[in-house]
Amino acid sequence: MQKEDLIAKNPLRVFAQDGAGKEINQRMGLVMARAGLGKTAILVQIALDNILRGHQVLHVSVGASLEKTKVWYDDILQDIAEGAKLEKPQEIRDAVMRNRLIMTFKEAGFTRPKLEERLNDLVYQNVFRPACVVVDGFDFATAGREAVADIRELMTIMDMQVWFSAVVHRDDSRVSANGVPAPCHEVEDLFDTIMLVKPETDSPSLALDVLKDATGCVKPGKALTLDPATYLVKKA
Amino acid sequence: MSTSLDKVRNIGISAHIDSGKTTLTERILYYTQRIHAIHEVRGKDGVGAKMDSMELERERGITICSAATYCSWKDYAINIIDTPGHVDFTIEVERALRVLDGAVLILCSVGGVQSQSITVNRQMTRYNVPRIAFINKCDRTGANPGRVTAQLREKLQLNAVAIQLPIGLEADMEGIIDLVIMKAVYFDGDNGDIIREEEIPAALKEEADLAREEMLDAVSMFSDELMEAVLEGTPTVEMIRDAIRIGTLKLELTPVMVGSAYKNKGVQLLLNAVGDYLPCPTDVKNIALDLDNGEAEVQVSNQPGDPLVALAFKLEDGRYGQLTYVRTYQGTIKKGETIVNTRTGKKVKVGRLVRMHSDEMEEIEESGSGDIVALFGIDCASGDTFTDGKVNYSMSSMHIPAPVISLAVTPVDNKAQGNMSKALNRFTKEDPTFKTFMDEETGETIISGMGELHLDVYIERMKREYGAELKVGAPQVAYRETITQRAEFNYTHKKQTGGSGQYGRVAGFLEPFDGEYEFVDAIVGGSIPREFISACDKGFQKSMPKGALAEAPITGVRVTINDGASHAVDSSDVAFQLAAIGAFREGYLKASPVLMEPIMKVSAEGPTEFQGAIMGSLNQRRGMIVGTSEEGNYTVVDAEVPLSEMFGYSTILRSLTQGKAEFTMEFSVYRQVPKAVAETVIQERLKNKKK
Repeated sequence: MQKEDLIAKNPLRVFAQDGAGKEINQRMGLVMARAGLGKTAILVQIALDNILRGHQVLHVSVGASLEKTKVWYDDILQDIAEGAKLEKPQEIRDAVMRNRLIMTFKEAGFTRPKLEERLNDLVYQNVFRPACVVVDGFDFATAGREAVADIRELMTIMDMQVWFSAVVHRDDSRVSANGVPAPCHEVEDLFDTIMLVKPETDSPSLALDVLKDATGCVKPGKALTLDPATYLVKKA
Repeated sequence: MSTSLDKVRNIGISAHIDSGKTTLTERILYYTQRIHAIHEVRGKDGVGAKMDSMELERERGITICSAATYCSWKDYAINIIDTPGHVDFTIEVERALRVLDGAVLILCSVGGVQSQSITVNRQMTRYNVPRIAFINKCDRTGANPGRVTAQLREKLQLNAVAIQLPIGLEADMEGIIDLVIMKAVYFDGDNGDIIREEEIPAALKEEADLAREEMLDAVSMFSDELMEAVLEGTPTVEMIRDAIRIGTLKLELTPVMVGSAYKNKGVQLLLNAVGDYLPCPTDVKNIALDLDNGEAEVQVSNQPGDPLVALAFKLEDGRYGQLTYVRTYQGTIKKGETIVNTRTGKKVKVGRLVRMHSDEMEEIEESGSGDIVALFGIDCASGDTFTDGKVNYSMSSMHIPAPVISLAVTPVDNKAQGNMSKALNRFTKEDPTFKTFMDEETGETIISGMGELHLDVYIERMKREYGAELKVGAPQVAYRETITQRAEFNYTHKKQTGGSGQYGRVAGFLEPFDGEYEFVDAIVGGSIPREFISACDKGFQKSMPKGALAEAPITGVRVTINDGASHAVDSSDVAFQLAAIGAFREGYLKASPVLMEPIMKVSAEGPTEFQGAIMGSLNQRRGMIVGTSEEGNYTVVDAEVPLSEMFGYSTILRSLTQGKAEFTMEFSVYRQVPKAVAETVIQERLKNKKK
């Protein structure tokens, strides 16, 4: 398979364009799941989809190391290359190297002012101009609504799309009217797209349910599935 | 030296630059009474630390050569090798870790796990060396041992378990809580000589209890007895120490200690831990190859009575001849006896046997297994194995990384030429990562090494120690060439003009290959007679050192021959070698060859306010920023940058960051040079060749 086929056949393409075929460049997205159900893997695949489409991606890891984050990309790329029998896998790896930058922060160190400063550094020094930011490990439980709204404002000003991950805890049963579980049940209006990963009852796969999508790309409901062995996203 | 092997410890002290290795070793020598006064690495008295015996080391405040010494602590005999932290001198770390049984990995409590910490940890893992982590400089502003312990787990994937807590940090550092005995330890006296144990301060009791619980949780995994005792609430100090030792020797646990060598806190406790937790020679499995038995692996016994097996790991050429450092793995070396170099088969007599204390020597009569000593006047190479002739074993040598940077050097006059040759002979013998050769076309002498500092030090040493004043040319990058597609060849070498001639035809193809070189014989039907196949291989291999693009060594080529022709009279080894050389040339240019350059993994660390400038400067150098990590007010920028763009970067970085940032780099991978840059490089090389 060639790189172009990989882009066209990527299941995550459903989020790239709205019903009228217009590219969605700005969005605040959220992937929610219990611990170990593939949030990071989904964010990495969203990042890879953007990279393959020629965009630069900033991957922000809160609380994880640079090496660990890199390994996610290496592993998922390996699985994609094998599954798709890519003709030139090195080409994809080179594209990832050129178009991805990983930034790690300690939990307390990740704030809007800090992120803004770092992004400005990248842009003003002509180092990197990300079209997409993925933020893995943001602590919604302690952050508060204002912090999330701040980041949305920043992304709007900088004309970027941003995807977050959020951990759902089994023992916190709070949920919004639209079914968005805690800790994001009170900030769901700040997000354009919200997905929830949950185990399927009748198969070993994991379902990727769209709880909300204000961009018009997908209807709420089961959009995709996740292979529990490789954490690769597949069509439902 | 004690003959009881279980009381012997052979340890290395390794770390990132400026973590305090030499300062720690100085304290160790002081407390074990090997020296009677402490001198600082960059002290005002100008004397310098004991282990930095070279003038250049004292002037620059860096360790260049590893230095060996020994000491006694309680009833332990400890051989210590203090190593450099700069990646340029990485061979010193390699050779030390090859022969040592255990190591102390030092980390700065402010800097934490830094780039060379990762490299030396990797080296320790390569040689399966159990280690203790010592978080040093807890007296510094910004000290955070908890963060460093977490980094040991995240960045080095070590099961790091704190067995101590500091009492106070930064300027308030007073002492250390030992979580094993649950006591507070203070270091009184001018030089921290007097150890005082007290009850743990009330304010720290809760924290200490929690930390001890974490420690017991982790450590009890290595001892059922301890686990039961913990559940019953009756763990003893002995059980805990035994379990820590088991975990450490299994390489599944890294005990973490804290202190400040400069402020004389924690060193004695570290010495206790070396005895309690690091291996003795018999705890480590060392393998030799039996050369008389098809290189079958044999485990050396560590028994002094068994046939001698010793490894030469370091050479120093001095005024009185060559000093060879050896580690004895089995048997005994005695003064006056004859030993055999298994590589050369030569027998040599042991004239003088000495034990080293930095640059001082102590004559001894014999050295037993598990010992590290030096022999005088024995001509050998680093990595040679010596036996008593009763066995023919070879110990595997150490990993020698390839040099990445070269410089052309020219002596200013004839006297300097002679001295330079002597110096180069000596230095290349002592340091396998320092190489030299004469460029046949330009007549220049080229020296190659691991980095700018590496070469800088040798040029300075040639000037000081040999009076060889040199002119230094532009740094040269070690380019490579490779092919990017398959290409066929069908070449006939023919010289048949009367009398005995030469004839050989070779046909096949070249294709890209993951390794360096592979030859595949796919000849069927005897189109090339069997006796000439190896000549074909030889011819192809002869073509590899100089590529057609920039005369750089070729790598990554698989050559397959599948057809050919020979002549009953005129075919010969030489004819087929020449045919292969011609065939390679023909196929190579059709295979879309490209130039490759060394890419360095660069890690630049500086205050966060300069992060943008640092990233910009690396980006301007065709660098690819991989990522950034925030560590408090400091940020580490990791990037991959071509070596050719990194010359002089230290000056740039210094001026960009008010001298507050530093960087390290090590070789990562070879990558294709961008077309525009490749054309420039090739043109330059052609121009230099014409000159």
